[in-house]
Amino acid sequence: MINLDLLLQYYPLLLAGVMTSLQIAFTSCAIGAIIGTGLGIILASKNKSAQLFAQAYVSIVRGTPMLIQVMGTYFVLRSLGIPIPALWSAIISIGLNSAAYLSQTILSGITSVSKGQIEAAKTLGFTQAQTIRYIIFPQAIRTVLPNLESEIVTLIKDSSLASTIGVYELTQQGQIIMSQTYDMPSIYFAVGIIYLILTTTVTILMSLLNKKINYHVKP
Amino acid sequence: MLSLKHIYKKFQNRLVVDDVSFDVQAGQVIVLLGTSGVGKSTILRLLTGLETYDSGSITLNDQPLAAQSVGMVFQEFNLFPHLTVEENITLPLQIVHKKTRSQAEAIARNLLTTYQLQAHAHLRPQKLSGGQKQRVAFARALAMDPKILCCDEPTSALDPLLTSKIAQEINKLAQNGLMVILATHDTELIKQISCTIHLMQYGKIVETTTSAQLAENPEKYPHIKNFTQGLTSDTTNN
Repeated sequence: MINLDLLLQYYPLLLAGVMTSLQIAFTSCAIGAIIGTGLGIILASKNKSAQLFAQAYVSIVRGTPMLIQVMGTYFVLRSLGIPIPALWSAIISIGLNSAAYLSQTILSGITSVSKGQIEAAKTLGFTQAQTIRYIIFPQAIRTVLPNLESEIVTLIKDSSLASTIGVYELTQQGQIIMSQTYDMPSIYFAVGIIYLILTTTVTILMSLLNKKINYHVKP
Repeated sequence: MLSLKHIYKKFQNRLVVDDVSFDVQAGQVIVLLGTSGVGKSTILRLLTGLETYDSGSITLNDQPLAAQSVGMVFQEFNLFPHLTVEENITLPLQIVHKKTRSQAEAIARNLLTTYQLQAHAHLRPQKLSGGQKQRVAFARALAMDPKILCCDEPTSALDPLLTSKIAQEINKLAQNGLMVILATHDTELIKQISCTIHLMQYGKIVETTTSAQLAENPEKYPHIKNFTQGLTSDTTNN
């Protein structure tokens, strides 16, 4: 039986957890998008040594569990004498992880733009950077957006890994409430429903954005 | 004067441009005639800087040719699908030529009027017919004020009526002093423009004449005569 009174009593803690989870998810996504874009451009470039570096980074990050990366970043930085707050350590490690996955999304977006578009830009006098900014990215975004949506949804759920290094995000707040109330069904139910609401909201908002962008850049 | 001297280009071990030389004067139309794969488009790509040549020289008024002097109309048009017709013209002007938005729009409006595209200015290219796309591609290339205009198979997607219109336009551009270089296998097009014709086979120019000389004495130019009569079999180097 779900104890609604209990949930109403502890909702400030759950709300604080939601805010922290969203902060982790969106900040990590921003870090991932910036670094992932750089990696995607490198992977699409003709610079072999830079490509090798980017491919190695992607392989290492994708080939190791995110839990190890979250804990490893926190404890390695601590052992090096860098007193980084647990929240920021989690954001950085999840963001770096996200960058590896987003680089593949960006790469597929870039390669989806036809060679003829790039050649047209070149003959009109665009530099490589201008071609990326004004011709490739606006067209690649159509391919990138659906994957970005699933990446944000994944990050919202993966933000729970921050609880392993003591960040008071949603899952951690739920565990604290459980340790005080011993009402596991109510808390697990509430936490699960909250994650579902967050991910569904993101899915709906991104679908709307996707439709809007597609309307403008549909080939 | 544009001057190509002893140009060679290989792709892997295949020689696609084999010792090609020709000159182009201001106001002259050059037609590179031949079947697919004889190296016509490659020469246009060398002129626009999309490919580099292995040896030889390309100069404009005795200076190395700068890619910015050359405009290109592609066979597939390559218009930017995320931009409107007008933006296809204004964006390069703003980004490359650093024009203000109002200056770029004024140039675009002028060209759109010339090419009877005013009504389509705010449409995206995917809403246009082949002929309209072709005209936008011309307008976009000409907006950049090139000294040389290269057109790759400019009439491949057009019906005879639109082919005539493109021919008239090319004649007009040449009268205004532009150097125009066409790569085509469309023999109907070359009948309608005043031009110098270079017939290409296996990456080489095998015969050269002018449209006037060809009309006057076609027997003197057997390769071109055969080509225009559709008697040429495989002349590619594939």
